[in-house]
Amino acid sequence: MKTIKHSWAEPYKIKMVELLKMTTAAQRKKAMKEAGYNTFLLKSEDVYIDLLTDSGTSAMSDRQWAGMMLGDEAYAGSRNFYHLEEVVREVYGYKYLIPTHQGRGAENILSKVLIKKGDIIPGNMYFTTTRLHQELAGGKFEDIIIDQAHDPENEHPFKGNVDLNKLERLIKKHGAKKIPYVSMATSVNMAGGQPISMKNLKELRALTKKHGIRVIHDMTRVAENAYFIQQREKGYEHKTIKAIVKEIGSYTDGATMSAKKDALVNIGGFLAVNDWDVFEEARNMVVVYEGLHTYGGLAGRDMEAMAIGIGESVSDDHIRARIGQVIYLGQKMIEYEVPIVKPIGGHGIFVDAKKFLPHIPQDSFPAQTLAAEMYLDSGVRTMERGVVSAGRKANGENYYPKLELVRFTIPRRVYTQAHMDVIAESAARVYQRRKTIKGLKMVYEPKYLRFFQARFEKL
Amino acid sequence: MKTIIEPFKIKSVEPIYFNTKEERTEILEKAFYNPFLIHANEVLIDLLTDSGTSAMSSNQWAGMMQGDESYAGSTSFFHFEETIQRITGMPLVIPTHQGRAAEKILFSILGGKGKYFVSNTLFDTTRANIEYSGAEGIDLVCEAGKHPSIPAPFKGNMDIDALRNFIAEKGAANIPLCIITVTNNSGGGQPVSMQNIREVKAVCEANKIPLFIDACRFAENAYFIKLREDGYAARPIPEIVKELFSYADGCTMSAKKDAFANIGGFLAMHDEALAQQCRNMLIMTEGFPTYGGLAGRDLEAIAIGLTEVMDEHYLQYRIRSIEYLTNKLIAAGVPVMQPAGGHAIYIDAKEFLPHIPVEQYPGQALVGALYVHGGIRSVEIGSLMFGKYDHQHKLIPAQLELVRLAIPRRVYTQSHIDYVAEVIIEVFQKRDEIKGLAITEEAPMLRHFTAKLKPVL
Repeated sequence: MKTIKHSWAEPYKIKMVELLKMTTAAQRKKAMKEAGYNTFLLKSEDVYIDLLTDSGTSAMSDRQWAGMMLGDEAYAGSRNFYHLEEVVREVYGYKYLIPTHQGRGAENILSKVLIKKGDIIPGNMYFTTTRLHQELAGGKFEDIIIDQAHDPENEHPFKGNVDLNKLERLIKKHGAKKIPYVSMATSVNMAGGQPISMKNLKELRALTKKHGIRVIHDMTRVAENAYFIQQREKGYEHKTIKAIVKEIGSYTDGATMSAKKDALVNIGGFLAVNDWDVFEEARNMVVVYEGLHTYGGLAGRDMEAMAIGIGESVSDDHIRARIGQVIYLGQKMIEYEVPIVKPIGGHGIFVDAKKFLPHIPQDSFPAQTLAAEMYLDSGVRTMERGVVSAGRKANGENYYPKLELVRFTIPRRVYTQAHMDVIAESAARVYQRRKTIKGLKMVYEPKYLRFFQARFEKL
Repeated sequence: MKTIIEPFKIKSVEPIYFNTKEERTEILEKAFYNPFLIHANEVLIDLLTDSGTSAMSSNQWAGMMQGDESYAGSTSFFHFEETIQRITGMPLVIPTHQGRAAEKILFSILGGKGKYFVSNTLFDTTRANIEYSGAEGIDLVCEAGKHPSIPAPFKGNMDIDALRNFIAEKGAANIPLCIITVTNNSGGGQPVSMQNIREVKAVCEANKIPLFIDACRFAENAYFIKLREDGYAARPIPEIVKELFSYADGCTMSAKKDAFANIGGFLAMHDEALAQQCRNMLIMTEGFPTYGGLAGRDLEAIAIGLTEVMDEHYLQYRIRSIEYLTNKLIAAGVPVMQPAGGHAIYIDAKEFLPHIPVEQYPGQALVGALYVHGGIRSVEIGSLMFGKYDHQHKLIPAQLELVRLAIPRRVYTQSHIDYVAEVIIEVFQKRDEIKGLAITEEAPMLRHFTAKLKPVL
């Protein structure tokens, strides 16, 4: 008997829709040219399927919208703050909460409170804003992720793991006093949304405990990481996402969170810690940068939506459908032989532009070119994560990163399976005509974070 | 004069939680006599601030539903940008999650040790951001602005001679910016005249000092100009607003005030090089330049609110309702700032509680009494907020000891306001029973938000 496929389906139905503008090839050609072949510069109204980021782009639930209506906008002591505090304690296990307007607000405050000039901050791969705040506070980031994370072909199940030997060497070299904390991300973004295992995290906790070093958790996509632990790690197959998330939190001393990802909101973040002294210092600082500590620069309604979203984010049904959709798209791409980073991560598909366009040298921006071609083909907006994003060294030379990727990030609960089909088919079509594609040249280059606003012309 | 009615009706309500005087006595003690530490559901009438506490309109809520949450190039951003360009005439618009973030960015670029920022009066977070950069903030409000009980039409004006003298003393090169706050919040929500802005501009221009406007309450200020300044009675509000901004090189705005939004702010300016620096900072602490740390829906709500606030019927109702409460208090002999300001009632706590010395924070003591007696939450704007210590840890008091009752926009009805007046008048009659306070714990900056106090027995 033929085995019948057991499909996942969304554990929700649609309550409100947002209309999309369909564009013609001629309109897209014009829009892409006007945007200087940089997808960041496209107007969103010209985009059909927007895969630029999964940050702040989720569809909220009806319960979250109902929560928005219960927003208590009092400047001090808002009910929504106490609700959020309770949820953070219950779901993640952290004692003290400081809301911030988004994740980078929390990173800014944490770095300023914990880092002294000359400190070393080891972490499982850098993230742009995280590293920037560590550096601005006078610290230096050191990468301690396992080597396999840098290889797009390697199918290690936990490519987000920390290499404990690398960490031990750093402790030996600099001394534990110079290391205020280890910055540990779940679902490592720059590695392609790759998870860390519970076993690795436990070992990290044991090692840092021995040396009196804190572990601070970048928990933006912790629920997605928990799903991979449930699917891949022995002993966790029968545990709930909620239990796994709480266990992850228990091995750490505090966390920064951009709630715009896992927590299904359009704005918001927080800093959460177990140490009263750190909390007190952070609370004094949040007033200067963000807002009073019971709103942190957020409307009351946004704290309420976050509290409800956090609860929804750790439901097994939700996360299975979420990652199921990403895997569905990835497998379609594999069927069409489009080269992607493996294993498939939690929040998007990363297409290997070097393999996709081997005839385009890195100086002619293969990933930037491919992102533009995707838009031209179907109105799908993706993001370059390669030589343009990497920028220049202090001496003016380009960084030539090993990974030259185009990121297809999937917003949560927004697009349907039919949208996924359109994306995969479009990628396949572009792949079929890959040999006719020519590279780009950069005609305008801003000094900082050039990928946001650089402009290009076709060669 | 006919009763001024609200140019709107109520579409959605929020319940008020009642409690007893005994319960409130205990709550205040547990909150260490600091209103910022009281839970919102323990407050009957919340006059802590008019910031972020407005009721949005049905149009704004509809805009919330249309919010475009795209990370880059959001349609809501273009609506926001266009609106601000139209209102201010400034081409470069940078969204921020709220006003203090706009200030933070501006002052960390322009500030630093040895620099002076001159202003009519800087507000608490503005001052904190300036001092955090190492620079000093200098208040140069006109003489009338320093005397709460003397009525004058434009008590928010800057003292032009003092400005000239200060520039001569410190050198224009050490003054990166002059800031006019409209209306002058710390000085009682008092307006600045167009004439004064023009004169400040002339002095700034002669010394090549850029002029920025802290525009939180620009529409309320414009309405006062229309009411009180020669030649403006027949001019429409948007025109007055446009003229006001035309003298400035840039502005910061907390959209939580005159834009009726619950969150949001922005920077706008003419100088492309400065804007580029601001955007670079923005990406680090706020967000990408087309969202600046705000949800798309909030950009939309701000854009709609900025247009709504310039409606003359609304402004008439707004200013008139503040005046209504002020007049009731004056009639009962309560010492209040005169004339009525744009967004709040300011009680002169020094005169209200002459038996409490400034070292015992009479303003804060009055705040506590209003809460216990009627569940009204207000805020001290005096030595707790602005006081400093000298090298012997002796308090250097603020110029004024005020208690501010800020009226949220479109939230409370006339009967709420009548209740507030009754509570204040009753407390006034029993003022001798109120005791001073001492600080038991405080933070090094912006201490009023988290300070703990206890009664002096």
